[in-house]
Amino acid sequence: MSEALVKPLRLVRTRRTRTYVWTAAAVLLLALPFYLDRFWLQAGLFAMAAAIGAIGINLLTGATGQLSMGHAFFLAVGAYGYCVFAADGGDGLTGLGLPTWLAAVLAVLVAGVAGGLFSPISGRLSGAYLGIATLALVFIGQHVMFNAHDLTGGANGRDVPPLNLFGLTFDDRELLVAAVPFGSAEKLWYAGLVVLLAGALFARGVLRGRPGRAMNAIRDHRIAAGVIGVPVARHRAAVFVLSSMYAGLAGVLLALVFQRTVPDYFGITLSLEYLAMIVIGGLGSVSGAVAGAVFVSLLPQLLTRYSDALPLVSAPGTGGIAPGEASRYLYGAAVVLVVLFLPGGLVRVAARRRVTTHPGEER
Amino acid sequence: MNTTYAARAAAGALAALLVLAGCSSKAKDDDGDKAAAGGVKTGDGISGKTITLGALTDMTGVYATLGKSVTQAQQLYVKQLNAAGGVCGYKVRLSIRDHGYDPQKAVSGYTELEPKVLGFAQFIGSPFVAAVKQRIDGQDKGLVLPQAWSAALLGSPYIRVIGSTYDIETINAVDFLMQEKGIKKGDKIGHVYFEGDYGESALVGSRHVAQEEGLTVVEQKIKPTDNDMTAQVAALKQAGVKAIVISAGPRQAASLVGVAAAGGFNVPIIGNNSAFAPQLLATQAGPALMKNYYVSSPSLPIGADTPEAKKLVADYQAAYPKDALDNGIVAGWTAVSAFGEALKKACASKDLTREGVDKALLSIDSFDVGFGIAQDFTDPKSASSKQSVILQPDKSVTGGMKVVREAEASEMAEAYTPGA
Amino acid sequence: MSTFAEILLNGVSLGSVYALIALGFVVIFRATEVVNFAHASLLLAGGYVTATLHDDIGFWPALLAGIAGAALVGAAVEFLVMRRYRGADHSVLAIVTIGVDILLTTELTRRIGTDVLVMGDPWGDAVLKLGSISLAHTRIAAFVAAALLITAFLLAFRYTSWGVAMRAAAESPETAALMGVRLGRVSLGAWAVAGGLAAVAALFLTVFPTPGLERATSLAALKAFPAAILGGLDSTTGALVGGLLVGITESLATGYQSDLTFLGRGLGDLAPYLVMVAILLIRPAGLFGTKELARV
Repeated sequence: MSEALVKPLRLVRTRRTRTYVWTAAAVLLLALPFYLDRFWLQAGLFAMAAAIGAIGINLLTGATGQLSMGHAFFLAVGAYGYCVFAADGGDGLTGLGLPTWLAAVLAVLVAGVAGGLFSPISGRLSGAYLGIATLALVFIGQHVMFNAHDLTGGANGRDVPPLNLFGLTFDDRELLVAAVPFGSAEKLWYAGLVVLLAGALFARGVLRGRPGRAMNAIRDHRIAAGVIGVPVARHRAAVFVLSSMYAGLAGVLLALVFQRTVPDYFGITLSLEYLAMIVIGGLGSVSGAVAGAVFVSLLPQLLTRYSDALPLVSAPGTGGIAPGEASRYLYGAAVVLVVLFLPGGLVRVAARRRVTTHPGEER
Repeated sequence: MNTTYAARAAAGALAALLVLAGCSSKAKDDDGDKAAAGGVKTGDGISGKTITLGALTDMTGVYATLGKSVTQAQQLYVKQLNAAGGVCGYKVRLSIRDHGYDPQKAVSGYTELEPKVLGFAQFIGSPFVAAVKQRIDGQDKGLVLPQAWSAALLGSPYIRVIGSTYDIETINAVDFLMQEKGIKKGDKIGHVYFEGDYGESALVGSRHVAQEEGLTVVEQKIKPTDNDMTAQVAALKQAGVKAIVISAGPRQAASLVGVAAAGGFNVPIIGNNSAFAPQLLATQAGPALMKNYYVSSPSLPIGADTPEAKKLVADYQAAYPKDALDNGIVAGWTAVSAFGEALKKACASKDLTREGVDKALLSIDSFDVGFGIAQDFTDPKSASSKQSVILQPDKSVTGGMKVVREAEASEMAEAYTPGA
Repeated sequence: MSTFAEILLNGVSLGSVYALIALGFVVIFRATEVVNFAHASLLLAGGYVTATLHDDIGFWPALLAGIAGAALVGAAVEFLVMRRYRGADHSVLAIVTIGVDILLTTELTRRIGTDVLVMGDPWGDAVLKLGSISLAHTRIAAFVAAALLITAFLLAFRYTSWGVAMRAAAESPETAALMGVRLGRVSLGAWAVAGGLAAVAALFLTVFPTPGLERATSLAALKAFPAAILGGLDSTTGALVGGLLVGITESLATGYQSDLTFLGRGLGDLAPYLVMVAILLIRPAGLFGTKELARV
């Protein structure tokens, strides 16, 4: 009886603190381009792109239980698709010269179509079979990237036309905002935030609604899910397409940040990194994907950035651990240890703390 | 209730943002070129009494062997330069980032170092140089000396490839086969090449000769992960080639030469500069390599018989006693010496800004660090040299390579324009 | 014709090496239902031990040490890592093995550095000539060794109590446990055997015609993935057939690349995956894999 009275009050209070936290985070994120230099903004943009891609693979692998090692392929489709649609063909490569916003949308759709075309495989296989079958996509993708010279520019890749929205071009021409010069990284930062927020909210909607429950049912017991009336095959194909579109979107953003797409990037390592992200962050949730993406993509940047301070790369030949290796040790260990000690990933730690402070409220 | 909070929060956020932005350190202030005491103009990359140069290397990825030698040679040079008093009274410092041949790290490394350095004495991986080319040409305008000999990188006044590019190197290699190894019009030659920029650049060269001289090129494309050349040798043998060019890594060259020799397929094999490492002489393929393998190189080998080379070997061995002597050292040394020379020239004309250094390099027309080839940097559209030295592996020589044909630019190479 | 025979024979011998790797895969999958992406690092570990020891103790003891070393690493991974996760989702476990692989591979490549390590094997670059066909001794040795090991393994699988326990565990872990099979030991054994097989494969992947062990050697394990899958992940026969199929496909696609230019050159790596996708389209559980049956 008394509990029922107390509860709404507390709820209001937590809601209020939550609003404050979110506001503070939003202010911080919006203010960063005014302070950070290009390196950090670029690192942040890489993390944002990774977060979008990780949300996609978390829908597929985390929520629906479909192991995919082909995520890099769909990123490549998005990145190169954008170039092909948006470029004007001035560099001798295929380019349709469409408005860049349309090119971005089309690139995402093409990534979705590519995911759909794979459905004869993705709809039938599961588990390890699907994982290794999707690995084939990475090999096929790289083969095409290196060989289809007119489309991809071959080994040296091709230039990415800058995004142009409402008359604002996201390129390196300086634009003064409150006396701070805005280059491509600063401008793209805001575009990245908007896209990430939209992507995260949409994915959260999917996960919290009926489709999300159906996906979890498929993950936990495919046959049982079928028996209780979940259209298993249709859902699996749909999730695969959706996840590919997220990857495509991440690819477009990455291409814009890189300003050039190169085939070396879209290899197996990239696919594995995405799997590591969702395991470290937390399987099956949007916040988990974002947390993992930030961790995995910022870690090597941090270590390399401060390698001068850590006595590593500055002394080659001494047998010290190079920063690249150090970051690989750390995230390899993170994958192993997180699953061991924090089943549910980094986000679960935060959630657990909240549960202990306000017992019975969360969930 | 919730909406008022949100609205109030948003308004507060906006206000805070505007206030904060005003006092950002990034806000534009006049940080134009400074004229220091002594009248030398300085700009980016120089603070206090230090000139910082960047080096984007690969010490943990596929080009680790090259990256390690190049970097260590460059560190040695900088140490000696500083011991001799530096440039214009400034000490030189190398800021090194290892990208492990990962595009994301390479681009991040460039972004991070770019505002802090005068230029880059090393940048491994031509796809990555291509990735930041727009920025180098557009606004950064710092001098970049890539350790990648791709013709695709030519043409920029800021990105300067040192020595002959892969296509020219390959033309000289095929020329050697025709002059010395009896390859003539109508013959078939095999070309085993890496997928990617290096191999495809080299293929342009062999195709060019084939067209000019009436040869036929039998192409075999491989990936950097292929280590067993049995199938390639079988295919080339079947096609009846009279000689083989290989534009791949040292391991592929060793496998190719070993398989060909073991199968009694004794045609001459010649590789590009990157297709040999002295470590190979200790493997099974060692004897075969010494018998039937040649390397086309943009400079004399590390074991060259010049006083400068001997001094470099002695100094390098003193500094890094455990590491192998290879041609990566020569490449790194040549590049950083050229940068050092440009710095000295820029100092003489009292302009150590990026622009000043770019201009200084453009005025260097015959620069030789003692490895047999004079570099001419006056024309950004062509390689700084069209000459190649033909080397042969030899276990008894320092660095494992001896010279069989001195520096020479073949007529074909002289007449050849990249990209044409 | 002789070129074809030469390419085919090389493909068969290469395929038998892939079969060794794929077999290790299948053994672990049968015992634990986990796909082991850390296989590449087991391979590298075995090769590394052999390569570093052969100078001091001779080739054959070094090879045995390599096999034992890789088996030990495999067992350690099972004991220290995989055992802690029993009951976790199999996809998650597969990702955990990726983490293990990153750790081990980073450590080993750091040790190998920029060297090319030779194996010190007795075959050298000797070649057997049969008419116009030439075949390296190492290739013959690879085929013979793989054939012996696989036969021995299949016999052990069928007739020893360890094999019976393995099969029982694969059939139904609960029932097997009730019947007194110690599942921990079965999975420990599986990881050790897989490690040993990988070490032998590492040897034959790094002797002539390949110059030696170096940091990229572990990538060869990537070719065993399609081999294991197209044969059927839970079938030992499948691993054998899959390995051979991948080896032959790769060899033919490389040897005849001039005739396949319409697909782009450099197909060797890609071809096994294309064959795999084609087979999976027709048989989703691979050629010899058991179709999944389930009760609700």
